[in-house]
Amino acid sequence: MDSDRIAEIIIAEIRSTVPELEAQPIARADSMADLGVDSIERSEIILATLEAIGLKVPMVQLHGPRNIGELADLLHAKSKA
Amino acid sequence: MPSPRPDTRPLVVTGIGVASGLGHGKDAFRAGLFEGRSVFAPLARPGRQRGDDSPPFFGVEMPDPPSILPPRVERTAGLSGRAAVAVLDEAWREAGLDRLAPERIGLIVGGSNLMAREQFLSLRDYAARLDFLPPRHGHVFLDTDICGLCASQFPIRGFAHTIGAASASGAAAIVAAVEAVSSGRVDACIALGALQDVSLLDLQGFRALGALGPGPVCRPMDAGHDGFLYGEACAALVVTRPEHAGGTIYGRVLGTGFCTDGSRGPEPNSDAQVRAAQDALAAAGLVAADIDYVNGHATGTPSGDEAELATMRKLGLGHARVNATKSIIGHGLSAAGAVEAAAVLIQMREGLLHPVSHLDAPLDEAFRWVQGVVQEHRIRHALKLSFGFGGSNVALVFGAPEGAAA
Repeated sequence: MDSDRIAEIIIAEIRSTVPELEAQPIARADSMADLGVDSIERSEIILATLEAIGLKVPMVQLHGPRNIGELADLLHAKSKA
Repeated sequence: MPSPRPDTRPLVVTGIGVASGLGHGKDAFRAGLFEGRSVFAPLARPGRQRGDDSPPFFGVEMPDPPSILPPRVERTAGLSGRAAVAVLDEAWREAGLDRLAPERIGLIVGGSNLMAREQFLSLRDYAARLDFLPPRHGHVFLDTDICGLCASQFPIRGFAHTIGAASASGAAAIVAAVEAVSSGRVDACIALGALQDVSLLDLQGFRALGALGPGPVCRPMDAGHDGFLYGEACAALVVTRPEHAGGTIYGRVLGTGFCTDGSRGPEPNSDAQVRAAQDALAAAGLVAADIDYVNGHATGTPSGDEAELATMRKLGLGHARVNATKSIIGHGLSAAGAVEAAAVLIQMREGLLHPVSHLDAPLDEAFRWVQGVVQEHRIRHALKLSFGFGGSNVALVFGAPEGAAA
């Protein structure tokens, strides 16, 4: 699974967690904070993504990414490690 | 003589929101009570079935609460939270609470362990994948999440907390709301009897205790009574000073009594029930002879009904009309005291009393039961009794609004 596919999963989880964003275009360059996703929703989206791609890593190892693309890259790297 | 209350003008109830198996809102509640329509059925909500060949649990489940919350919030709110927001919205609008400063409004949610069914389902769903448990489970399992949910959607900034007294929780919330307004801490306080969302474990526990009836109906105060049946319910009542009442004044809260009897379990205590009622009457400056209507706790358990009948005999209430709202909507547990207080006030306003469903052979013919169909009755002073496991005994005395026809 490549980083773009992981980004698609993240974006789908964002839309299901925050239904208000259903119709809004969301791209790799967007950050969840800028989209108005709060911190608990963000954790929920990341956990749901981890489950969808079959990855178990502690949340503390996932701090740092500044946008959806960087988060997808990090999850992609972790899934190959 | 009871000592005089610091403020001699009784508080009033100005807004009511109700949800039950009869539907959402006061219109559905009023129509259902007066029609005496039966809504008991096998419990169908997930997490309430044994999944074996044992008999189903009978009771009452409400239609889905109306969608009031923003979608991102609604998806994180459980049934108890959504029902609470629905009744709060109805009561809030009716009382016109937007006129008051948020810091002068309080919320007391009656009930504890309110969301057991959703925890039960989560444990089942996530048992094999706990690492992926959504993080909101770290706060939404708390009963106080209902307080937080309500205060996040309505401008309540005085205080918001829970109060637990088992099946007397809803009535205890009214007592606490009265105290909060009487003391001047806030100008209006919402007493909310929360929906107790019971799980299979709770139902089986009640069955094992011998408290839960087999169904398909429950028969409070009837010779055929065989236990209570659960009924989903939720109600909010706005308690305020007469000068802050913006809308309909349903009635006055004349006195309250709330005592414990030292029992830990489910056993009732008639002496303490009498004491709670006498305390409420004394606070109201009334005697039992002034009470013309009693809304019983009346669950339909043999020991509970007998103890309550003894209580009403000791108090001398043979002259008063008596009915039992649980015969129609089931036992709301945490919500019962609040939803039944709402029933008292709605009957007071309509000048009608709802019948006790399935009351064919009253255990004590000396009382003036409301049997058969709805009956006209101008309530002047009502006594609402509410008791809870763990020894909680609550009594509320309501009076007709000032100026109402006597």
